[in-house]
Amino acid sequence: MFLEKGKISNFQLSVLIVGFVFGSSVIISPGGGAGHDGWIAVAIGLMEGLLIAWIFTALAKQFKDKTIIEINSLIYGKILGKCISVLFIWYLFHLGALVLTNYMHFFNLQIYPATPKTVELLLLMLVCASTVGRGIEVLARLSIILVPLTTLLIISDTFLLIPHIDLSNLMPILDVPIGKLLLASHGAASFPFAETAAFLMVLAFVDKPEKGPSAVFRGLLIAGFILIIVVARNAAVLGQMAEITIYPTYLAAQVIDIGDILTRLEVVVGINLITMGFIKISVLFYGTVLGLAQILNLRSYRPIILPVGILMVILALTNVGNTLEMFEFATKGYPVYAVPFQIGIPLLTLGIAKLRKIPPKGEGNI
Amino acid sequence: MKRGQRFKIYMVILLIIIPVFLSGCWDSKELNKLSIVSGLGWDIDPDTGEVTLTYQSIIPNEIKSSSSGSGGGEQKGGNPLRTIQLDQDTGSSSYDVLNRYTQHGSRIPFYQHTQVYVFGKDGVQRGIYPFLDTQARNPVARPNVLMVVSEKKASDILGIQDGMENIQAFGMASEIKLSATFTKYPAVTVLEFQKRLMSQTTAPIAPMVGIFEETGPEGKKTQKIRITGTAVFKGDKMIGQLNERESSGLLWGINKIKIGFVMLPEASLEIVTAKSKIVPELQGDQIKITIEIDEESNLIEYKGHQDMTSDILQELEKDQAKEIESQVMAAVEKSFSLDADVFGFGEAVHRKYKKEWQDLKPRWDEIYPDIEVVVKVKTHLNEIGDINKALIKD
Repeated sequence: MFLEKGKISNFQLSVLIVGFVFGSSVIISPGGGAGHDGWIAVAIGLMEGLLIAWIFTALAKQFKDKTIIEINSLIYGKILGKCISVLFIWYLFHLGALVLTNYMHFFNLQIYPATPKTVELLLLMLVCASTVGRGIEVLARLSIILVPLTTLLIISDTFLLIPHIDLSNLMPILDVPIGKLLLASHGAASFPFAETAAFLMVLAFVDKPEKGPSAVFRGLLIAGFILIIVVARNAAVLGQMAEITIYPTYLAAQVIDIGDILTRLEVVVGINLITMGFIKISVLFYGTVLGLAQILNLRSYRPIILPVGILMVILALTNVGNTLEMFEFATKGYPVYAVPFQIGIPLLTLGIAKLRKIPPKGEGNI
Repeated sequence: MKRGQRFKIYMVILLIIIPVFLSGCWDSKELNKLSIVSGLGWDIDPDTGEVTLTYQSIIPNEIKSSSSGSGGGEQKGGNPLRTIQLDQDTGSSSYDVLNRYTQHGSRIPFYQHTQVYVFGKDGVQRGIYPFLDTQARNPVARPNVLMVVSEKKASDILGIQDGMENIQAFGMASEIKLSATFTKYPAVTVLEFQKRLMSQTTAPIAPMVGIFEETGPEGKKTQKIRITGTAVFKGDKMIGQLNERESSGLLWGINKIKIGFVMLPEASLEIVTAKSKIVPELQGDQIKITIEIDEESNLIEYKGHQDMTSDILQELEKDQAKEIESQVMAAVEKSFSLDADVFGFGEAVHRKYKKEWQDLKPRWDEIYPDIEVVVKVKTHLNEIGDINKALIKD
């Protein structure tokens, strides 16, 4: 099938992964619920995320140029395979809508209180749709520009906050009960690290598939390392306020004050959300439309971009009523809800593939 | 027409159309529709519990004239009171006040440039939680606004001309920051207040300001603002205050020393660098706190007529250590009598003994006054100035 003719390099894949992991975690700190030990939770979550990444990259490596949709048809047969594919596509679609929801609630609370939510979402969606229509290559090249820029902004924010950092806020280490910490770690793994399972739709287009896994790991490690620093920094600057405020990174950026001149930099955090949210939504959106096109045997995925985009916006507008519901779902429901998609489907598929010896040895490319 | 040319024309049309939408319709804020609040006063009637808010807003036109119009002698310095306007209203909560304000105000208050929150003492003794809640909840409220407790009504303080700045609240903010730089009184932002409040054992603090009358050269009396102490809170209620000496003792204890002076009977010393650390120790049920202070200073004033010798320097170092210790101890004693953990000893114990802390935290108020506090001061005299002998001898 030739729905996507583009190829991305392994380096571009790593950068894309970094951007994807940043996604909405540039505003919402992962590892919530672990108090000032959030950074430890993120570190453990990163390890869990790497383990999950190992599963799905192993699957992608086994079927070099196939997306999860084609793999499913091979493993489970046509009908069951398509059913499982539909579930996976639903996850990508829903996750994309959730990121849009995050974006919408953040901007509606902090930056554009009066702007209608639909307008905010549609503007972002149009950009995403236009990018997705141009294929994965364009998105990957765009990420080469946006991700380093965002990383630079995050790091410079951290440097500007050094005068306000009080490391004693991070003490004592491991203050939360171990159960709570592990729960928070799993939360951090399911959002954002293991969400990279969505790359099962993208890994097929990497030009050196045998090195795909290491590119994914590299991306996860870089993004995870920066997130650990950001979470620790927020706790060190804000103390216990970091636990009760909804957008700690934004509040921390408000604290920046270099000689009464360099102040009010919090909108940088909003810009980071626009660019990184754009990358995350685009990857998920791309996975959704490409997957749908493959399931329905379409010749091109372009005709379904706009309908799917509009549906995604509608889901984003309606799936949660307010920020509180969004957070209840993100912290309580989501870590459980995401497991079948992030671990279940890839692990099951990989297991059956190994048992049924698909693809047979020597026939790497079926 | 060639394709490239047509593309160019489309791009130009697009460039003309885009700015129409970029101007924004929903969230635009026009300067001439806003009243930029520079300071906010918060008073509570002790009997009825009604909140009175005083908005000190900037009049932008006046600022322009007073900073650029240096034409005549009468304009010199500008009059800070002409650059601000005070509005006041009363209601059951901060937003009830704002709700009423809209009946007579002409512009919407804009809080992004607020410098200080002034709290009337009466209101603070009743508790400021409702105010802190709006502060934390409201996205337009910034975390680094300074908090001040006023000895009189907050509305009185906001109307007094003060400082060299054009706008009164900016002047007051600089005054507070200066006193913190010179290790006199703390400068406390909303975020720092919230952090102390949330720790549940550490007592929040805020500087206090009062009005005093200054007699000018020609006997002209002017009212000025002066920082007079440190308000100590328990939870959201003010329960007492520290005087000047205790306030700097507190700053020594919580490692907030920047520069400043140590006054001795025979000399004055200028602090160069200083660091302090709170080291807790748990011996059975007894808590021992050691405050370790490391200080370096320069000699800047000497009242004796002797030549400098290393003996005198050692003597000065010792006296200085004693003076710092007594300042810190004064603050400690006061905090014991108020039963308010202003130093954050509780958090220090928490950091070191996290298991025992679970047991100590609920009864911290009972334990606190029985803590044994030791202050260890290490001082070093760096420089003695440009002369090493006295100008005239005894």
